[in-house]
Amino acid sequence: MGIKPLLTKDFATENLKQLAVYEKTGGYTGFKKALEMQPDALVDLVKASGLRGRGGAGFPTGNKWSFLPKGMYPRYLVCNADESEPGCFKDRYLMENSPHQVLEGILIASYAIGCNLAFIYIRGEYLPQTEALEAAIDEARQAGYLGKNVLGKGYDLDVILHRGAGAYICGEETAMLTSLEGYRGEPRLKPPFPAVKGLYGKPTVVNNVETVCNLPHIVLNGADWFKAIGTPTGSGTRLWCMSGHVNRPGNYEMENGTPIRELIEEHGGGVWKNRKLKAFQPGGASMMVLLPEHLDVGLDFDAIAKAGSLAGAGAMVVMDETTCMVDAARRYVKFFEHESCGKCTPCREGTYWMANIFDRFEGGEAKVGDIDLLLDIGYNIDGRSFCPLGDASTWFPRSVIKFFRDEFQEHISEKGCPFKKSVQEAVA
Amino acid sequence: MATVQTDQVTLTVNGQSVTVPKGTLILDAAKKVGIDIPIFCSHPKMAPVAVCRMCLVEVEKMPKLQPACAVYVAEGMVVKTTTEQVNKYQKGVLEFLLINHPLDCPICDKGGECPLQDQTYQYGPGASRYQFDKAHFDKSVPLSDKIVLDRERCILCWRCTRFSEEISGERELALIQRGVHTIIGTFNDEPAQSAYQGNWTEICPVGALTSRQYRFISRPWDLDRTPSVCPGCSMGCNIQIDARNNKIGRFQSRENVAVDDSWLCDFGRYSFPNFQRQSQERPRIRRGGRLEDVSYDEAIAFTVDGLKRAGGQAAGWASPADTNEELLLFRRLFRDVLRSPHLDHRSATVVDAEPGDMTLSIADIERLEHVVLLGGQEVIDAAPVLHLRLFKSQRKGVTVLKVGAGQVAEAVAGVSPDCTAVGILATEANKAAAVDLQTKLQRKIKGSVRRLIVTTGPNGRGAKDLGILPHLGPGYVALNGQAGTGRTEWPGAGLRALYVHESSPLHGFTPTDAESMWLPTVPLLVFHRFKPSPLDEMAHVILPGHAFTEKDGTVTNMEGRVQRIRKGIDAAWVREDWLVFQEIANQLGASWSYESVGQITSDLVRGLPPYMAVNQEARVLWSERP
Ligand SMILES: Cc1cc2nc3c(=O)[nH]c(=O)nc-3n(C[C@H](O)[C@H](O)[C@H](O)COP(=O)(O)O)c2cc1C
Ligand code: SF4
Ligand code: SF4
Ligand code: SF4
Ligand code: FES
Repeated sequence: MGIKPLLTKDFATENLKQLAVYEKTGGYTGFKKALEMQPDALVDLVKASGLRGRGGAGFPTGNKWSFLPKGMYPRYLVCNADESEPGCFKDRYLMENSPHQVLEGILIASYAIGCNLAFIYIRGEYLPQTEALEAAIDEARQAGYLGKNVLGKGYDLDVILHRGAGAYICGEETAMLTSLEGYRGEPRLKPPFPAVKGLYGKPTVVNNVETVCNLPHIVLNGADWFKAIGTPTGSGTRLWCMSGHVNRPGNYEMENGTPIRELIEEHGGGVWKNRKLKAFQPGGASMMVLLPEHLDVGLDFDAIAKAGSLAGAGAMVVMDETTCMVDAARRYVKFFEHESCGKCTPCREGTYWMANIFDRFEGGEAKVGDIDLLLDIGYNIDGRSFCPLGDASTWFPRSVIKFFRDEFQEHISEKGCPFKKSVQEAVA
Repeated sequence: MATVQTDQVTLTVNGQSVTVPKGTLILDAAKKVGIDIPIFCSHPKMAPVAVCRMCLVEVEKMPKLQPACAVYVAEGMVVKTTTEQVNKYQKGVLEFLLINHPLDCPICDKGGECPLQDQTYQYGPGASRYQFDKAHFDKSVPLSDKIVLDRERCILCWRCTRFSEEISGERELALIQRGVHTIIGTFNDEPAQSAYQGNWTEICPVGALTSRQYRFISRPWDLDRTPSVCPGCSMGCNIQIDARNNKIGRFQSRENVAVDDSWLCDFGRYSFPNFQRQSQERPRIRRGGRLEDVSYDEAIAFTVDGLKRAGGQAAGWASPADTNEELLLFRRLFRDVLRSPHLDHRSATVVDAEPGDMTLSIADIERLEHVVLLGGQEVIDAAPVLHLRLFKSQRKGVTVLKVGAGQVAEAVAGVSPDCTAVGILATEANKAAAVDLQTKLQRKIKGSVRRLIVTTGPNGRGAKDLGILPHLGPGYVALNGQAGTGRTEWPGAGLRALYVHESSPLHGFTPTDAESMWLPTVPLLVFHRFKPSPLDEMAHVILPGHAFTEKDGTVTNMEGRVQRIRKGIDAAWVREDWLVFQEIANQLGASWSYESVGQITSDLVRGLPPYMAVNQEARVLWSERP
């Protein structure tokens, strides 16, 4: 347990972005080995490795690949590099440090599922990362890793890099496909699932950047090796994006199952300014808040879910004792209100309403019934929305009401934010 | 053990067992046992989108509420639509829909027939807990010269945008912006061009899309609603005439899957002002060059006098918007009473009409493999709702080939020899080319080739069926040796009287240049019509008649479907047109004794048995000879 650089092991190497340097660290040997295997064997290997998607939902990657209907071509792979979850910056780190590793992962996944045209949908604001990937794609094409007859093995593959236009919803896989096709970024009705009817109506796999980065290592070292890392239901490592009131924010690649305490206290150097930990939020803006009492929970999908939150996309937002939880929730709710695509009623109207109520707390005009009203609005959104964005918009605020109801009450009785002063001090 | 393969699925909805075909939506399965699930975005003609979230119900074994409009039934499914959870959520979603809704019902055209209003009463919360300013949007956005959009009332159900995409295929309406700022609009705010915009106002579940013509005209409960048929063209789309104080407020669609599939075109829908009556005029006769008001009896006597003198030299023109009942009497007046063969309903000469012109039905277009639109857009312009059927067919995989009327060779080349079912659509003007194409295709392909000729006027087909033609009698029988002259031959034919009967300004008698020269020389011009026209200036007798929207009867559409039209507006001081015909005939020696339109219809069927179809409002089948 603990820090375990797997994807990031060579990140200290100078010029790792360059193909030659990447190859020197063993780059593309995974892909070469994969090319010698039967695609089906690759799928089985990834299934056996227990790799679960790093984009948020934690779905077993090999299983997802095997859902593609037999004999239906063309098939597409779309690498999800939209990373727009507040608190998440791991995909960006992976892309800017080792774009070839991302590409190698895409090559392996594409070969495994029988795809000849892969896409990378990258967050529009990620300009340096886009440039890094573009350069890598060019180099790879010149070196024969991409194009017709890859490495002379009779396999064709090309990669198209597509920049998003700044919508969080386009990280959701069906909205991403819709956006990629040139339409408004909005999620689609499921079923049909992308595996059956995805991009341009063809069978499609969507995989996160970090997910595919695991593939070269799994192919090179085998399923058993990978399974031995992490927990029984969570093989491997994850990059945790630590931010907030912590001494050393940043990306940390941790073996799955490592206690959260180790991440925050040891590697993050603990809460800043010698303050006490009030709460932390794993997963990203969507996820439920956890308390110091949860510090010994393992960094792992299932363990965090059991504790009442979700590991999501690997964020770890640390909040010290001066944090106004009402304000934190307000900010997140406003984010969702801003990012709601507007397709379905509960999310479109509900997030707008919640945001209004939170503003009222902030402005000191909240009424006694507002807390329960927020909970009730949340109840009417969660599980009723068209896609998980709406559902998730309620998770953090409702968990905050659960654990910090008194802070809401104080906002009402004190006609404003009791933390305002301390927050201002903290900023100063 | 062998399992029984079945395409039926049995499920329970609120404890009631229901068996439906596989692929049925929960919503429709529930409807089958009389259980209504409230909806907004769902529409029977459009693919489910499940955006409004009004229809969520409980389905056992599924953790979340499920949209009944988008989830298909499964064997053994247990659906509950009235649980506490569902009821609470329905209140919740209506509360959401209303937080930014202006609730200006008192000044909203939709008030009284508004699904949002109705469902709020039925399922909604009594009061809102929303205490903030509502988000504001533009309230009267001109989408075109026909439609005004109120963006505050829009609940973003996507029906109008889906119509634009899935039904008309024009993709003119789109969603703009996102989240609570989402609005409906056209590209760059340019005026909408669609010929089908009126349908948007009908499918909009709120008062967001309104017709300029109907804005602020009436409250729904003040409307008298009469089922009828559109006077616009030979398609025969079913309408409802909505009138207030005996004045037409609007035409609404009335679904007939075989004809209109529940849509209208704007030309037809917005044609109703043509049928508004301006004044209570009386019959007039010309004396000393001037028209004088007289009684019906006087005008009829005058007419009889003139017709008697003309006898077999009297010509009659009845409009293709007359009812079959009127046409029957009109024909008998001329052929049997006056013994004149000079009958017509057409504007220009066309090749022979025959049952082969309607071997293809409108609904069957969807079941073809290939359809040739001979004359292209011209065919659509003649019957605009055909476009919607063609687009629907295209979406189902039918190949639609649009060629110019002269491009028969191209059309033949475009159809592959192993094609199983081909259809040809053309206007009457291009009938000869259509027949040519049909012959050539029949030689080329192994499957069937059928044609549908788009006729003129809501009853142009009936006029042909009933023999309002100089050379054909009822049922397309040739008038061997007894044929008369047709309209284009009349100038110079030495006629002594012309009787023009016209029920619709859309399909009136518009004189050609030659006719304008000839008409003043005709000894007797009887103009029996609904609306004044330049012909008034030349007429010796003007007999006020009823408009298409003012009478009962039947009309036959292009494919031979006989449908009823009904009196939507009452103009009691105008004598029934058929009664006027009867009085004229009787004064000329006949002894007709019809007391109602129904009696004429019965006689019509007796004389022309294929018209039995009228009882089912079905197509007349002339033994289907090609
Ligand atoms: C609102 C929303 C936003 C999402 N954003 C992202 C994202 O930015 N990046 C990502 O990889 N997955 C995102 N996802 C998850 C994707 O839908 C999808 O599950 C994932 O890309 C699949 O890849 P994986 O199996 O490799 O995890 C998002 C999901 C939702 C509902
Ligand atoms: S929950 Fe609804 S409105 Fe929100 S992002 Fe998803 S589809 Fe759009
Ligand atoms: S304008 Fe009417 S039909 Fe169109 S989205 Fe809004 S509510 Fe629906
Ligand atoms: S297609 Fe013809 S019948 Fe139908 S609505 Fe239009 S004008 Fe009327
Ligand atoms: S009717 Fe089902 S979601 Fe709108």
